[in-house]
Amino acid sequence: MNAIKRIARIACAAAVAGIATWTVAQAQDAPPGNAGIGKRLFVANGCFTCHGRSGQGGAYNGPAPILAKTALPFDGFKAQIRNPVNDMPAFPAALLSDKDIADIYAFVQSLPGPRSAKDIAILNY
Amino acid sequence: MDKRRQPSASSRRNFLKGAGLVGAAAAVVPQVTANAAPVAPQPQLKAAVPGPLQTAAETLAPSSDPVNQTSSGGDFMADVLNSLGIEYMAINCASSYRGLHEAVLNHANNKPEIITCVHEDIAVHMAQGYAKIEGKPMAMACHGVVGLQHATMAMYNAWCDRVPVLVFGGNIMEADKRMPGTEWVHSGVDIGQIVREFTKWDDQPVSLTHFAESTVRAYKIATTPPMGPVFIALDAELQENPIPDPEALRIPKFAPVIPPQGDSAAIAEAAKMLVEAQNPIIICDRVARTPAGMANLVALAEALQCGVIDNGGRMNFPSRHPLNQSFRRALIGQADVILAMEMNDLWGALTHFSDRIVRRSSSGIKSGAKLITLGTRDLYLKSNYQDFGRWQDIDLDIAGDAEASLPALTEAVKRLTDDGHKAAFDARGKKLAATHLAMVERSKTDATIGWDSSPITTARMCAEVYAQIKDEDWSMVGTTIKLSWPQRLWDFNKPHQWNGVSGGSGIGYNLPASLGAALTNKKHGRFTLSFGGDGDFMFNPGALWTAAHHQIPILYIVQNNRAYHQEYMYLVAMAARHGRDVSKMDIGTTLKDPNIDYATVARGMGAHGEGPITDPKDLAPALSRAIAAVKSGQPAVVDVVTDPR
Repeated sequence: MNAIKRIARIACAAAVAGIATWTVAQAQDAPPGNAGIGKRLFVANGCFTCHGRSGQGGAYNGPAPILAKTALPFDGFKAQIRNPVNDMPAFPAALLSDKDIADIYAFVQSLPGPRSAKDIAILNY
Repeated sequence: MDKRRQPSASSRRNFLKGAGLVGAAAAVVPQVTANAAPVAPQPQLKAAVPGPLQTAAETLAPSSDPVNQTSSGGDFMADVLNSLGIEYMAINCASSYRGLHEAVLNHANNKPEIITCVHEDIAVHMAQGYAKIEGKPMAMACHGVVGLQHATMAMYNAWCDRVPVLVFGGNIMEADKRMPGTEWVHSGVDIGQIVREFTKWDDQPVSLTHFAESTVRAYKIATTPPMGPVFIALDAELQENPIPDPEALRIPKFAPVIPPQGDSAAIAEAAKMLVEAQNPIIICDRVARTPAGMANLVALAEALQCGVIDNGGRMNFPSRHPLNQSFRRALIGQADVILAMEMNDLWGALTHFSDRIVRRSSSGIKSGAKLITLGTRDLYLKSNYQDFGRWQDIDLDIAGDAEASLPALTEAVKRLTDDGHKAAFDARGKKLAATHLAMVERSKTDATIGWDSSPITTARMCAEVYAQIKDEDWSMVGTTIKLSWPQRLWDFNKPHQWNGVSGGSGIGYNLPASLGAALTNKKHGRFTLSFGGDGDFMFNPGALWTAAHHQIPILYIVQNNRAYHQEYMYLVAMAARHGRDVSKMDIGTTLKDPNIDYATVARGMGAHGEGPITDPKDLAPALSRAIAAVKSGQPAVVDVVTDPR
């Protein structure tokens, strides 16, 4: 419970800063990656356990940020994997190479991301 | 089922059975003598020669010992329980309290109503869930040795959750009155010893007067904040034997303790600090112990127009109230005055902690901020189990029941609020309302991610459930680890709409505790629902039989991620920390190969079962069928195969 605050801060920052055009620009700055391979790595390395198979976010010791169409630039994404600022486990190169991370980044950028809640009847109340 | 084993040697029934076998064997043995011509053996039925016990039983004069009785201590014990208004007694039957059990059924006409449970852990957890909704304890009875050992985990949860539960355990105190065998291994000198570290009080009465006083005292102690479970040992002889002098017995008068309010000068000081603050924040955990609690907290928050962070130990604050800032915990770090009430883990709520190789912590409070606490939790602590948490520096520490103290605090705040304050408060409240509204809209948008995915997202699961129950008088009484979607998406605005969590994080709480809450919700005509993890479900699936047997309606949604998922994540973290293979971390942490079919388990217990649901499109129809079953009085389980969190 105690770590909720730090992780929530990161989650909120990522969510609030989710500007679509900025995201596209940052995605373009990323090294090329294979989303199909990235999906396999995302599952095999347990990323889905906290962030969800659809990148919808979840919880570890505290909230785990949404990754679908993440607003984090690739460098920040990679830095968070190599040397996280919160309780997220660090994944060294022995487990995930830079190429693997690029593939995972391509995968999370390929995810649909949020829709308008207004398009879903049961969310309109 | 009488678990009191019959003695093998002296039982008349066993003796006769043995005699019969001897006779049959004798009948088929050929009879041969030295001077007799051989003859074909003739089967001949022949009675065995009676042994000394049978001979004595059939020839001696009857014992002068009494064989009938017109009163029993158990009758008086049942009267004591009923004098306290105890509605239910959840039990797993046991011979060591057979005297009380029979008395409740016959002398007291099944009052308290017996709730049959297939495990003591279920019985205590039911009582825990019941007490939080109903606002008073129910009883639980078990074997004092072997049953109490089963009950310990649930009693620890109730202790950590500060919930009153009356636990009774049978014992045979006089050694010369114990039958050979099982009654010896089911007896103890001090049977309350194993639960003493996590009960408020216990006793082993040696007379009926002693029982009456101790039970009323136990009830009073259990229901006085800080509340908690209590234990009374039930001597078998005391329960079963005739009452020697009925005229000498009386049931003590029970008067509930009025929960203490905080010191008036301290309340005035707290009000002054809050009114003068630029950014006050309220954080709470177990404030609401009656339906009045939520209204009292709303009144204070509205008087100050300050944010409230609800840790959710009870139904403290409406989820859609504009001042609800429970998902903006960063506000704690911005506050200049923090009012923390009835906190379970105060230090944890105000601290950043890193679960890394080097574990570090730092204060989450900004420098110079003042901390006020109000509550009763620390008025009764024990030393072994560390549920009291780490030391937290406090500026104004007020001992008093928060719910009882809130009206005085609110009035003090209002008295100090002038027009200047009011304008500032209104402006603050409008900002908070805007951020709350944005948070709700953001949550709805976030919920759309993976909307059509399989496994089903937990957001979709919760949205589908709410769509079908939101117009009912619903009561959500259980949840899974870190499932936040109901609080993010639903409108919780009634005191019975949330029932907190386990307290001790002991797995196995959720299903039976939800059932205990449903038991009292049934009386009030409410629609009970609960989310529960698959791991938790498998600890106590037998609770569903109790639900079916006693016709307790409840919609139980199994969030089936096929894992002890928190542990799965921890193992992934451990492997990553070492740079070692992550792919094996499902070993020992997952519930697959074979997948468990919870709907079939439910049907096997006599409940309605739906699932496993893997396609989100199938969820609404399955819920609809399950809800119809619940409305017809049945328990229903919906097995939803979900993404992990």
